[in-house]
Amino acid sequence: MRNLRRFFFNGQNLLALLIVGVFVGAALAAPVLAPPADDSSESSIFFKRVGRRTDRTPNPPGEGALLGTLPSQLDIFYTLVWGTRHALRFGLVVSLCTACLGVLVGAVSGYAGGTVNRLMLRVTDGFLAIPVIIGVGIFRQLVFLAGPSVAVSPVQRALGILGSDYVMLGLVFFSWMPYARIIHANVARLRNVDYVQAARSAGAGGLRIIFRHLLPNAIAPAIVLVARDVGAMVLLGAAFTFIGVGGESPWGELAALGREYVIGSYGDPLQTWWVYLPVTLALILFGVGWNLLGDGLNDQLNPRLDRRRAFGVSRLVDL
Amino acid sequence: MLSFLQFLARRLIAVPITFLVVTLILYGVALLAPIEIRAKLYWPPGASEEWLALNGGAEAVRDLNEQVIKQYGLNDPFPVQYARWLSQLLRGDWGSSFAVNDVLPALLHRTPVTAELTLYSVLLLIPLGLASGVVAGWRKNRFPDHGFRSLAFVATSIPSFILGLLLLAFFYVGLKWFPPGRLSVSNIFTVTSTTSTFKSYTGLLTIDGLLNGQYDIAVDALRHLVLPVITLSLAHWATLGRLTRAAMIEELSQEYVTAALSRGLSMREAVWRHALRNAILPGLNSSAVSMAALFTGVFVVESVFNFHGISELIVIAMAQLDLPLTLGVTVYSVLIVLPLMFLLDVLQAVVDPRIREGVV
Repeated sequence: MRNLRRFFFNGQNLLALLIVGVFVGAALAAPVLAPPADDSSESSIFFKRVGRRTDRTPNPPGEGALLGTLPSQLDIFYTLVWGTRHALRFGLVVSLCTACLGVLVGAVSGYAGGTVNRLMLRVTDGFLAIPVIIGVGIFRQLVFLAGPSVAVSPVQRALGILGSDYVMLGLVFFSWMPYARIIHANVARLRNVDYVQAARSAGAGGLRIIFRHLLPNAIAPAIVLVARDVGAMVLLGAAFTFIGVGGESPWGELAALGREYVIGSYGDPLQTWWVYLPVTLALILFGVGWNLLGDGLNDQLNPRLDRRRAFGVSRLVDL
Repeated sequence: MLSFLQFLARRLIAVPITFLVVTLILYGVALLAPIEIRAKLYWPPGASEEWLALNGGAEAVRDLNEQVIKQYGLNDPFPVQYARWLSQLLRGDWGSSFAVNDVLPALLHRTPVTAELTLYSVLLLIPLGLASGVVAGWRKNRFPDHGFRSLAFVATSIPSFILGLLLLAFFYVGLKWFPPGRLSVSNIFTVTSTTSTFKSYTGLLTIDGLLNGQYDIAVDALRHLVLPVITLSLAHWATLGRLTRAAMIEELSQEYVTAALSRGLSMREAVWRHALRNAILPGLNSSAVSMAALFTGVFVVESVFNFHGISELIVIAMAQLDLPLTLGVTVYSVLIVLPLMFLLDVLQAVVDPRIREGVV
């Protein structure tokens, strides 16, 4: 209880909750905030056309489009609101899956020790050398190659089903290493403490020890990382869409469409601020919100909190 | 000294091993693709679905596939295929792609662009990150610290492509100081035209400009590098600085610092002579780990600032079915990242004897 109160009586944490709350609210209330068109002929559910496609001038905010329109009359407010839905789902799914994978690898290698440990550390190091964009690229190629028509083995069929989300797959499979490293360090430190020895001598099996005794005491830094990753993953996904590597982040597409206006290809950027400013702010705020939340959790979950108060240092996750 | 050499040898051996592990994983993932599709990558030039449909239909496709599978051994066990692919890599045959023909020359051709950007960023961000972290930790809760923390928070929260766009809007559209691209139009002609006397020594325009005695080109290239380098480095600089700051604060509370101060050293001496060495270790470690992330950043930044570097290739590879090009870019980036990680590992060992003695 006291911990909860301490968490909420902190301006920074409240701000974080406020920002994240606004995004969650917008995602939940998307159909009310921005009702889709009745006769939607758009290929993507994230876009709504409010004028003629041939109308190439972006229109300023006004009736029909709260935040104005893009060059071919796509409603910006609509995409922002529905994009929030996409962003939250994307961020949560990716970071939770990443965390599960990393925690599992870290816990098993930390508990097993010996050869398993060395092998897994080597693999983890190997993955650390692969830029995540490359991972996304590999999965993109695979999905291309393993189209549903040619899917023969179960693996290929699974890939076909997950097909459209190759960005998610790439992100999950190529960014679990920080979780594995930090959980590994914690588990390796805890595996021979008294209460684990006691559990072992009482006949508890390896899995039981890992999940009942080790992980509850080692998991805190992973929670902090998840909170930060929700923001980071969404921003990364948007960046991939923006540079044309793929994925379908609506915010990334908005930013890509607004790009020419920012660098002044169509005159003074200040004259068409609505094309890029709202989406820029949404992206920045999303990152800031989850970052702040992560920082708050970091302070909250830190077991050495009193020491931290004394010296003003020593965070759970070094960042 | 001997232990340092031993450490160096151990780490040097680890580099190719890690390379093998990585390529094994990646090639294994790539082999998940159905064999008929992979066979297509080896079709002789001129053979297309349409052409085969006219000349025998599905049967012709099957025949050709069987022939290709046999000829290139696509049905061989995984280790055999992997070994064959690896030996081709080592011999410089990185496969050929539909979009750019031979993969390796295409990669090498674009290397200087990416190298120049990465080089300046790393050279800038590591010293600056360490220095600002040390100063912020030393002057905790004073003006430099507050300034650093605010800036670092902003820097880690803004996605790099948005930051790049904002910088362009401000410094290019608004102030007209730093344009996008790699060179100004008039200079591009000087550098690329076949009749010009401009010799390419390193491919890095800033250095080549100096070597050719054409200082205007070096300055121009530098001017075009300012914004991309800032965009690429800012987030990493902030992370590095925050880590170093936290470590510095922790070190300054240690007894050896108190002892140094009580022996009459000034705070300045205690910081730079004693605490510094320990304080920069976590930062160096995290830099080694985040080298791959830096490379992902390079892709984004090149794309935002219209640099025709390696990122161009991955975008091409993504746009169509191009497994050889994707694998090529993959191996290439691993080959860049691994030595950088190695260098940072060695740097850590230089700073901290415990690491090279294997105590930690």
